[in-house]
Amino acid sequence: MIRINNLTKTYGDFTALDALSLHVNEGEIYCLLGANGAGKTTTINLLLGFIKPTSGSAYINDINVVEQPKLTKQHLAYIPENLMLYPSLTAIENLDYFSGIANKKFKKGELESFLEEAGLQTSAFNKSVAKYSKGMRQKVGIAIALAKDAKVLLLDEPTSGLDPKASNEFGQLLQKLRGKGVATLMATHDLFRAKEVATTIGVMKDGQLKQQWSVDELSLKELEDSYLETMSYNTLQS
Amino acid sequence: MILHTFKKETKELWRDGRVRIAFFIVLLLTTIAVFISTNHYKNVNEQYVEASANEREVWDNQGEKNPHSAAHYGTYAFKPKYPLSLIDQGVDKYTGTSIFLEAHNRNEAQFIAASDQTGLARFGDLTPDFILLFMIPLLLILIAYNSITKEKERGTLTLLNSQGAIGWKIVLGKWIAIFFPVSILLFVLFISTGLLLSNLPDFGVFSWSSLFALFVTYMIYYAIFINLVLIISASVKKSGIALVLSLSVWILICLVLPKMASNLAEYKYPYPTRQEFAANVAKDKKLGLDGHNPWSKAAKELEEQTLKEYGVDSLSQLPFNYDAYRMQKGEEHEAEIFFKHYNYLKTQYSNQNGIYQTLATVSPYLPTRFLSMAIAKTDYNTHWDFSDAAENYRIETQKFLNDHFAKESKLGEWGFKADAGFWKQLPKFNYEPPSLSEIMKTNTSSIIIMLVWFIGSFTLLFFTTKSL
Repeated sequence: MIRINNLTKTYGDFTALDALSLHVNEGEIYCLLGANGAGKTTTINLLLGFIKPTSGSAYINDINVVEQPKLTKQHLAYIPENLMLYPSLTAIENLDYFSGIANKKFKKGELESFLEEAGLQTSAFNKSVAKYSKGMRQKVGIAIALAKDAKVLLLDEPTSGLDPKASNEFGQLLQKLRGKGVATLMATHDLFRAKEVATTIGVMKDGQLKQQWSVDELSLKELEDSYLETMSYNTLQS
Repeated sequence: MILHTFKKETKELWRDGRVRIAFFIVLLLTTIAVFISTNHYKNVNEQYVEASANEREVWDNQGEKNPHSAAHYGTYAFKPKYPLSLIDQGVDKYTGTSIFLEAHNRNEAQFIAASDQTGLARFGDLTPDFILLFMIPLLLILIAYNSITKEKERGTLTLLNSQGAIGWKIVLGKWIAIFFPVSILLFVLFISTGLLLSNLPDFGVFSWSSLFALFVTYMIYYAIFINLVLIISASVKKSGIALVLSLSVWILICLVLPKMASNLAEYKYPYPTRQEFAANVAKDKKLGLDGHNPWSKAAKELEEQTLKEYGVDSLSQLPFNYDAYRMQKGEEHEAEIFFKHYNYLKTQYSNQNGIYQTLATVSPYLPTRFLSMAIAKTDYNTHWDFSDAAENYRIETQKFLNDHFAKESKLGEWGFKADAGFWKQLPKFNYEPPSLSEIMKTNTSSIIIMLVWFIGSFTLLFFTTKSL
């Protein structure tokens, strides 16, 4: 579903992404861990077609993201760190608008069922999103992905700033989407949430993928130790 | 995508308290302005009808009188107030309302409304054209300045892009959402004005097609303004900067450039002062025939030429009163002089217009203003046209009087009096203003400049927002 081959992005002398290769298959959740500036967001922006790679290639559902960015976007959904919606509109209206932009038209009942599936309480459906918490906005983001019937989900620090309950609910939603066969690539700092939801975890540093494990290979303690070791080892190297 | 964005933007705008308040204020101001203008129009029109009838009655009932005395006694040509002046008063306030028509002189229009006003009038009047030309563009800025920057600031633009949004389609949806309420506002204003005018007694030459042309002119003006504000909003990152830039563009387009155009035009092609003009006319008059002076060189030449033409030895043998004939010839000479000097003024006006047209390429306010005034028949062209019509009527009147004097009396019969019923034979002054098609023809350059602005700004907007 997501295929990245030797993807590189440089800005002058600075290499933001260095020959990254990874695969995320149907029903997999791949968590990219790493410090700020490691290249996680650059990877997501490249997949979204917001920036162009210097070299290498990336595919979403076997569609080249550089050659056919518009077509690629039909197959993916994206939830940024701070999902911002139109504050004067309700959740239903926001969902209706963003679905419409993706050329998907739904009746009110269908929109409500997406929001319900995303875990938003029914009483909030018709309220302006101006007073929504971040967790509630993220749920609307998931509803947008559900409405789009996206096969690929790109998440950029989606749980950052969420309280544990909201973060846990968000993790459950991702598992639900995984069950539907959605391939998810999630950039995060949250090691514990990554261990909980991911099928594969990769550690990035200085634009390179330094380590990659299947989540079943390691316990949380081993994962934490390996992550810290990777980060400090490379720090010492540099 | 366009319709979807239009619906979403309309909801957002409607729920935005600022926009609702601004719309309410503009609507209120417009209603007040239309109310004031309607009253003003009714008053002026009533005065026009009354004054025209009274003046004609005075003329018709002069009793037995010498025709040349009647020529000096004179009459007035009253400038009608046109229905669409209710929307755009143009230069009416500064051009005067009536012209005194008398023998030997072409007079300027008098009773200038502006001269009766206090110094406060310098701050501008609350008229529909003030709201249409200045206030509504401000309202558009208020609605549109952050149309795109807010998407960038909020981060919704990123989500839109990830959903596969096409920049220009989103912007077109926003464009329609901004244009739509303004066009509704204007439509209601124009329709109610049209209905109001149609129901006024003596509403003159009101035509729905002129009202429609005025509506289209303003719609294009607003479309250009929306384009400019959206281009700014798409080009900068912060709403604050977009607001400052948009207001700067408004100040430049609506205030600075028109004032600059006016100063530059006056500097490059100045009108002579009233004293200079009068002195030049008097100088030229002296060089030719004076109908009242039989001893001048020009009068002697005319005498010889007339005797020769009619094959007689003395003036008393002529089949008409030569004194009246000479006066008519004097009138014709003076009319030529006035024609020459007024033509010079017109040439200066035309040259000044050239400067306005040049600067209109950098300010859409200017062509809109000119078109609006022209369609409302409150521009200088219409005033010139009226002034020329009044002058032609004056010349015809003088000929009518002098011919009667010449035909019905004998040489030296200065005591001749025309019958009391004679005055009614003079046709009434009936001024036909230029038709809409003539106005459009005269203002072709303004129309072209507006269309270039319209298409150019749309093209620039498209390329600026193609990939947001």
